[in-house]
Amino acid sequence: MSSNNKKWFSLNLSNRKKEQSSSCSCGNTSGQCASQQTPEVIDNEQNKDGFEQVFDVTMDRRTAFKKLTASLMIGAGAVSTSCSVISSDESKEKAQIDWEEQFKGNYRLMTDEEKQATVERLVRSYQLRTGKTINMSSKNAEENVLFGYAFNISKCQGYMDCVNACVEENNQDRNSQMQYIRIHEMKEGNGFNFGEADDNYYHEVPAEGHFYMGTQCFHCDNPPCTKVCPVKATWKEDDGLVVIDYDWCIGCRYCMAACPYDGRRFNWSQPEVPEEEINKNQHYLGNRMRKKGVMEKCTFCVQRSRAGKNPACVEACPTGARIFGNLLDPDSTIRWVLENKKVFRLKEDLGTEPKFWYFMD
Amino acid sequence: MINKYKYILLLGCSLILISLLFSCKSHHEDEYHNIVDKIEAKSTLYNGTSISSEAYIEPNTIEITEGEHTFLIPERKSQITSYACTECHAKPLGELQDSTKYKKAHWNIKLKHANAHTMNCVTCHNSADMDNLKSLTGEAIDFNRSYNLCSQCHTQQFKDWKGGAHGKRIGGWAPPRASLTCVNCHNPHQPQIKSKWPVRYNTQKEIERD
Amino acid sequence: MKRLFVFINLIKDSLDTITRGSKGYHLWMGFLTFVMLVGMYCYGIQLDQGLSATGMNDSVSWGLYISNFTFLVGVAAAAVILVMPTYVLKDIDFKRAVLIGEGLAVAALVMCLAFVIADMGGPSVLWHMIPVIGVFNFPDSMLTWDVIALNGYLFINISIPFYILFRHYQGKEAKSSVYIPGALLSVFWAVGIHLVTAFLYQGLQSRPFWNNALLGPRFLASAFAAGPALIILVLAVIRAYTPFSIEDKTIKKISLVVTVAAQINLIMLVSELFKEFYAPTHHSESAYYLFFGLGEKKALLPWIWTAISMNVIATLLLTFHKLRNNFRVLFFACTILFLAIWIEKGFGLIVPGFIPGSYGKISEYTPSGIEIGVTLGIWALGAFIFTILSKTAIQIEIGALRYKKQK
Repeated sequence: MSSNNKKWFSLNLSNRKKEQSSSCSCGNTSGQCASQQTPEVIDNEQNKDGFEQVFDVTMDRRTAFKKLTASLMIGAGAVSTSCSVISSDESKEKAQIDWEEQFKGNYRLMTDEEKQATVERLVRSYQLRTGKTINMSSKNAEENVLFGYAFNISKCQGYMDCVNACVEENNQDRNSQMQYIRIHEMKEGNGFNFGEADDNYYHEVPAEGHFYMGTQCFHCDNPPCTKVCPVKATWKEDDGLVVIDYDWCIGCRYCMAACPYDGRRFNWSQPEVPEEEINKNQHYLGNRMRKKGVMEKCTFCVQRSRAGKNPACVEACPTGARIFGNLLDPDSTIRWVLENKKVFRLKEDLGTEPKFWYFMD
Repeated sequence: MINKYKYILLLGCSLILISLLFSCKSHHEDEYHNIVDKIEAKSTLYNGTSISSEAYIEPNTIEITEGEHTFLIPERKSQITSYACTECHAKPLGELQDSTKYKKAHWNIKLKHANAHTMNCVTCHNSADMDNLKSLTGEAIDFNRSYNLCSQCHTQQFKDWKGGAHGKRIGGWAPPRASLTCVNCHNPHQPQIKSKWPVRYNTQKEIERD
Repeated sequence: MKRLFVFINLIKDSLDTITRGSKGYHLWMGFLTFVMLVGMYCYGIQLDQGLSATGMNDSVSWGLYISNFTFLVGVAAAAVILVMPTYVLKDIDFKRAVLIGEGLAVAALVMCLAFVIADMGGPSVLWHMIPVIGVFNFPDSMLTWDVIALNGYLFINISIPFYILFRHYQGKEAKSSVYIPGALLSVFWAVGIHLVTAFLYQGLQSRPFWNNALLGPRFLASAFAAGPALIILVLAVIRAYTPFSIEDKTIKKISLVVTVAAQINLIMLVSELFKEFYAPTHHSESAYYLFFGLGEKKALLPWIWTAISMNVIATLLLTFHKLRNNFRVLFFACTILFLAIWIEKGFGLIVPGFIPGSYGKISEYTPSGIEIGVTLGIWALGAFIFTILSKTAIQIEIGALRYKKQK
């Protein structure tokens, strides 16, 4: 890992050198081990994004506009690699995976077998690149489940433990400090005045005379973002989660303009997470590694919630201000909150029907 | 010629109309007026799910039933250092109060809970029965069910806690439900939650906004 | 078979035409090529780094590209101003200008598509949008309507002039029964592309600045001002530098269209300003930002006031017959009107839609050098295409380019 002095992990399918140096019999990764091979220096090392991954060549800026014809060249690259006698079985396999991944269909329209197959390809591809195994799920929505969320404004103290937990759980880009959750510090007596609220404070909390309100994707029942997507790369699942197929997204950012709640984030550059911080328990629609130029957002931690766990933010909240559960279960705590507390939602007049309620003690 | 144009015009208009109709029809509105109606309607058919959060709940829990709510809370007694209290408090408390004879015990506990008019140690502790707490009327309350003590004054919080609006849920969202009890978050002697610094600060966002 | 042969000959002849010309022509084309190459280099950098190479961010997620796209859709739609009188109402005056107008529409549409592609995060997966192979979210997504509208309009605007020129190339008259239905369709279509593009923004309940019923009509009015204004300028250049003669009468007629559209546009602007500022709600914040700035944030202030003053001056100049009929004044008025609408309907419309953000936060937008480079490159591409198209068309129309049977 220390071979090219890279602190970050980045999706880099075409860098074959990595896996050679990744394991060493003495387990020493700092480069002191005598048996470790010195890897060749790759001089124009750079981050590879989703569609550069499929090139089997390293590229510099001078050749960059050749990328315009990316898809064609991927095909050519894959064919030449798979026909080549010289290249190893592994790189053939990688080319095969890249080819299938580039031209696979929309996840929502896949059968369960196809979903399983793409998940297996992604796991295998990760293994080929890094030598590490991840666990990726393609679990579908469960019957009789509709996820909902409630946020207790009187309880939140603004500690931001939820933000931390969310970033770690969901493998968000560390460079741009992408965060799904925003905590707005509001002045008591000013009502819910978001304009005057501070969502990036750093002082001892809770501050005198202030209260805190968290926002994130509200998983609207009538989501404006999914309606505008030209390719149906984002949709509402049966359990109410609004999800994105990162591989199908074309990055037009129309959904971002359509969301009234600032719930969506765009990967303006190649997202990077330090290798040791990667959460390896993943879901296809959730926290698997993203690439540059695609949208992402809160999925109520689909990898956790579909397994019965609470989302990371709920689990991390030290005050119990965050309540998550099944809206269809009449005995669930979320239902009790909706039925017994004075709940409201943000921008209800827009008709988006968010499944994220606020309440006070 | 003019007839021909009219025909084309008509054709164009009807094409537009058809496509509009098509788009309105395919735009299948949910059969429910809003999300609350949908929840109400769909939950009448609710017959449980296969998802359980049993696996995520720690073993040291006890089941309690309060009103119509039954759920798990963490067991308390095993978490208290040197419980049972009677292991030290063999004699009644009155005999231990001579400071010339004995070293001060529990000196670190400062009571910051209500004011001195309302509460002191013996409001909750029983000098005659140290292994149990006591209610305002002097009845014994088990340490594992200390919420019964808190609920004497904090009735609204107790109601919310039973329902699930107050107190953190542990394990998962799926049944069975397990929640923290009062003393897991609030120190009973100083129940106010302390202030601290936020765990992170987003420097990128500041740059973006300047 | 014979037709194919003629077609091949046409291609050969037109290639011959466009590679020959005066020194000025070569300099012009060389300059455009250079700018295009710079644009491609910038785009290469953008592909490499991702869209972080631009000035856009999570709060202002559309910028210069989409602004130019919006404006150019209007320019493209304006071709209809010439098409309708010529083909449908049989106005002889416009006949010579119409091919230029349609060439302009084609160039503008190519630029529109290029701007949209430049704005995409994943251009390599754009095939996801192709119906049947990909998933086309029609009719829910207005973007898919726009894709259909733009490509259809491009097709119409290529095929009609091509048919006419192809006939003229062979020395035959173009049959009106063939092109008139197409011309009629293009009239509807032109209004359609612009309305649909307005609906793209108008349909977003999250952005109150755009979510306003006047947006579509105002798009049309400003398009019918800016587009023909550009056509007047282009005709003036063509008249001066090529043997293709265009009568004063044609230009005067087009200028009348520009005048009326500019006046209507101004009325709508007044109506919009009245609504935003007479009884301002928190939905007026974007307008406040645009026209007066919010606190310290006032980046768009100099732009919008320049645009509005140019708009008013141009409309005033055009309104008086005496001034309008003076070609110097007319060309000046057209230039400033075009620039004014480019500002007003470009980033004057797109950027304030995102400011303040969903929760009232303000982060301003300044395009990066890369972004400006790509934008200039695409404009150069448009100019390049237009030059090629109009040069071929002019040569055919003045009879210099004819199919020679059996050389």
